[in-house]
Amino acid sequence: MLPTYQDGSKYFVNRIAYLWREPQRGDVISIRMAGIHEMYLKRIIGLPGETVAFVNGRVLINGEVLDEPYEKLPCDWNLPPEKLGPDQYFVVGDNRSMPSQDHYFGKMDRDRIVGKIIR
Amino acid sequence: MKNVPSFILLAALAALGVWLWFVLSPSPERIIRQRLAKLARTASFSSGEGKLARLAAAEDIAGYFATNVEVDINVPGRVQHTLVGRAEIQQAALGARERLSGLKVQFPDINITVAPDKQSAVADLTVVVNIAGERDSIVQEMKFTFQKTDDGWLIARVETVRTLSSAILRFALHRAPFIVTG
Repeated sequence: MLPTYQDGSKYFVNRIAYLWREPQRGDVISIRMAGIHEMYLKRIIGLPGETVAFVNGRVLINGEVLDEPYEKLPCDWNLPPEKLGPDQYFVVGDNRSMPSQDHYFGKMDRDRIVGKIIR
Repeated sequence: MKNVPSFILLAALAALGVWLWFVLSPSPERIIRQRLAKLARTASFSSGEGKLARLAAAEDIAGYFATNVEVDINVPGRVQHTLVGRAEIQQAALGARERLSGLKVQFPDINITVAPDKQSAVADLTVVVNIAGERDSIVQEMKFTFQKTDDGWLIARVETVRTLSSAILRFALHRAPFIVTG
């Protein structure tokens, strides 16, 4: 999640953030694997039902370019449009300067969201 | 009032019986958790291991798996590895012990679902691997399928779970650019 979040740093997770409202685009969330001892830290860019694509490093949501002020590093990714299901979010890290094959990102189910990162 | 000590004794005996029953006939879930903990300990090693110790450990590790086991590991950017059968597991374990100066394996989260017939079970777990000399850990969600056999609960299949999925990742895995052998 560089440059927004540094490696080796500790952050708190608000586990009740999504009890009364749904996750929003731009939220940085923690995503569980088999449990909550090891989690991913990613940013939501796509919401349920939307179509997400990357064209020359720019994110397209339903064909429209997404404004990403937090994105500081150069990116040249290309990803064909992916339609999200009714309970799916598209998440990606902020460090997109590496080849897309080396970056772990993509669609995920709502029930994997543990909470929102507090800065 | 005269019977009170007898009641206490009976209650204590009943509690002892329940405790013994749990200890002597553990549930499949408990057995599988214990096996996974032992597997993690056996797979972990530090430098200075002798050749005989390496061979014994590799054989021990293979013993946790069924003879026809299939292991399919895909960690993007790190490892793609497919193994079939105990012999390949043993070779891979031995290769890792010869090549690396240390390894620590942990399963910090384990969810076990036992089939209704209690003959098979699935463990959805997170694997954390620390290689000596490397700063970053390998962290991956995996699915282990266990089968009950005459030799106890053995691992019959190991698969990578895609916590996140994308077309690029699927393409990358299909193309298999990252292959670690041995």
